[in-house]
Amino acid sequence: MNERIIYETEEGGVAVIIPAPECGLTIEEIAAKDVPEGVSYHIVDASEVPSDRTFREAWSWE
Amino acid sequence: MSTVKSSSENLTLNADGAGSDVVIQSNGTTTATITAEGLLQYNSGYGSAATAYGCRAWVNFNGTGTVAIRDSGNVSSITDAGVGSYFVNFTNAMPDTNYSPVHSYTNEVNVQHAVGFLSSLATTYLGVQYYNAANAANSVDKSIVAIAVFR
Repeated sequence: MNERIIYETEEGGVAVIIPAPECGLTIEEIAAKDVPEGVSYHIVDASEVPSDRTFREAWSWE
Repeated sequence: MSTVKSSSENLTLNADGAGSDVVIQSNGTTTATITAEGLLQYNSGYGSAATAYGCRAWVNFNGTGTVAIRDSGNVSSITDAGVGSYFVNFTNAMPDTNYSPVHSYTNEVNVQHAVGFLSSLATTYLGVQYYNAANAANSVDKSIVAIAVFR
């Protein structure tokens, strides 16, 4: 499962959900369970999430 | 040697009767018991067959660079909420928030020491955060975070 779930936090930042390998749930099931209720989210390929975290707090979703 | 086996179906050990335990003995000494209440008790070097309290969830993840879970049990995902801030999401929720998480983490080379603490406890997740020990305003990522939850 090389995907990530992205959602915007109440503080205006971006949270990234990393699925556990072999947890037995689909990415959609993980999103339904682990994204805060009522918050919209996006499923993206892991390669779309920057690995450079120097300005992690400045990340935004477009 | 005697062997109890079931070749084609589940093997059921049934201590029939209210309050009856399933007891395993070796040479007359009890080595393990499953009590009528469902408690698993075993010796395994402890000195007597005592109740074992299980690890209900665990995870080892890399919180730097491309954040990734190395391995886990009863964890559906982790949430990278920002620098040094992570949430562990349980596949199966805890029965309450009285569980006891234990966590450890690395101190990165050439970086000032960090302190970590639990930021939240819920039945479906827990949160941890890490800060520079010399400056609480500076959050820091950890390359190895290991968390186990006992209940």
